[in-house]
Amino acid sequence: MTRLAIAINKTRCIGCQTCAFACKMQNNVPEGMRWNRVITEGCDVEDGALGTYPNLSRSYLPIACQHCENPACQRVCPTGATYKDDKGRVEIDYDKCIGCRMCMAACPYNARVFNWNEPVRKPDFNFGDKEVPVRPKGVAEKCTLCKERTDRGEEPMCVRCCPTKARTYGDLDDPNSEISKLIAERHAYVLLEEQGTKPQVHYFE
Amino acid sequence: MTSGKTKIAYAVLGILTVAGIAAWIYQLMGGLGVTGMNNGTSWGLYIGCFMFFVGLSAGGLIVASSASVFHVAEYKKVALPAVILSTACICVAGIFVLVDLGGIQRVWRIITGFNPTSPLCWDICVICLYLVINIIYLVFMTSNKDDADRKVAIVSRFALPVAILVHSVTTWIFGLQLSREGWYSAIMAPLFVVSAMDSGLALLMLVLGGLNKSGWFKTEKKLMSSLAGLLATCVAIDAFLVGCEILTMVYPGAAGAETLAIMASGVTAPFFWAEILLGLLIPFCILVFARNRENMGLVMFASVCIVIGVFCKRIWLLFTSFFMPNVYGAPGIISGSSASAHATGMDVWAVVGTYAPTWVEIVIVIGVISLGALAFLVLCQKLLPAAKTAEADGANAAAEGAAA
Repeated sequence: MTRLAIAINKTRCIGCQTCAFACKMQNNVPEGMRWNRVITEGCDVEDGALGTYPNLSRSYLPIACQHCENPACQRVCPTGATYKDDKGRVEIDYDKCIGCRMCMAACPYNARVFNWNEPVRKPDFNFGDKEVPVRPKGVAEKCTLCKERTDRGEEPMCVRCCPTKARTYGDLDDPNSEISKLIAERHAYVLLEEQGTKPQVHYFE
Repeated sequence: MTSGKTKIAYAVLGILTVAGIAAWIYQLMGGLGVTGMNNGTSWGLYIGCFMFFVGLSAGGLIVASSASVFHVAEYKKVALPAVILSTACICVAGIFVLVDLGGIQRVWRIITGFNPTSPLCWDICVICLYLVINIIYLVFMTSNKDDADRKVAIVSRFALPVAILVHSVTTWIFGLQLSREGWYSAIMAPLFVVSAMDSGLALLMLVLGGLNKSGWFKTEKKLMSSLAGLLATCVAIDAFLVGCEILTMVYPGAAGAETLAIMASGVTAPFFWAEILLGLLIPFCILVFARNRENMGLVMFASVCIVIGVFCKRIWLLFTSFFMPNVYGAPGIISGSSASAHATGMDVWAVVGTYAPTWVEIVIVIGVISLGALAFLVLCQKLLPAAKTAEADGANAAAEGAAA
């Protein structure tokens, strides 16, 4: 089996948002949507800080689909549009999506975005990878772990573009992969472990 | 033949229904972006109304079928209007799910790609079954054949569990989602069944009051008082279950207490307190006294309070759990709605959930409810024996009046 995933070194993340925009470019993500966002943890304002001066702290958390082993979104999808593929990625078949948004209610990570309107792009053309399907209005979408790139054997665009090399991509089922070693050595953890979704995306300090 | 007043009612409801259909076509053209929903609060008024109307429907049928199952001869008298009401309400509930879909043209995918782990799939099955049972019930109840009574008794034995199930399954769409603190609770299904019974029964009382006035269907005052007593019991059980749920949420002082704070003093507080007051306290204090149950004015007032109170409950239950994202941090969740497509800079982001229905949603909701009311009136006129004669009399009187 293959379980493709990303591990993110939070100490390296500088909150530059490059991964968020690289994702948007690659995947033809329309206006008003992000598949990947970088939040300033626990803060009401972006680039804010926690604590009282001079004891302040700030940390960034890049968050997208966690490609869970036990995906809540897949469980609730009435039409089977959301599925777990043979490479361990959670994917959406847009032709099957009826836009009920059950998945958005079930996802604990708010990873999904919905095409509320006819998608608007600025500039006004499909700027993404030509292999990435263009989604119509009325369907849900989210990070595909750059399905089209990873199918070609390339790494996801967010991993490729991260200027601080905070992201590592690989196969969790291969014990010799860089990602498996990092997760073991750096005591990586997952987001909202108590939700029981068993995310494949890992974080470490 | 239809009397003047009924004609006006049909005309008004018809116009509202047409307005609703027009708004729905507008929504189909523009996408769900014309509603107030967004990526943070991905369900809105439609789903709230869906929960509400499933409840209204279940309540009526539970009373009607219990009458047959447990041989409560008294209640059998109101079984026919109760089942008509239940049929109209379940259709309304079903329509609310359909107008909420982003890709209704692909809805057949539910059949071809049926996912047995999805509570939405269970709900579609059980709602269809429920509708079929309602229709069979109506057919047998209005049948003139000799063995009709026996058939009604048989159907009622299926109707009662399915009525309880239909509301439980609707609850499980919400109650099984671990990701939403305010929804994930085992008590949710019984709580919904009981609030379905009190709101459904309250609506039935209001409808019986209306039918009494129009002369379409006469209900004895004694029976109304007896139903009011049952209503008081349902309200008390509802209050008990709400109390259990709140205590369990708040006691550990953990995540549940934060959710409760949103309900008790945060964005959904007006709806929460409206439910406690209108849905539970006021009607219980009125209906608990036998003398008040004799007073039809007070009974009707209590029923209105309960229906509004339970609607408020659906609202706070739905939206409280959309307010606070599990992973909190700025800039939060990108809205994705139409409004945000024209916004600039950081305005498209929100750290907490926001939602307000737009005029399109409100017109559609009014239209769907009008359609349900229309269906109810038509069914009553066709199926209630007294309604036929009353209408004929009314029409004759109107004709005579016009002639004079």
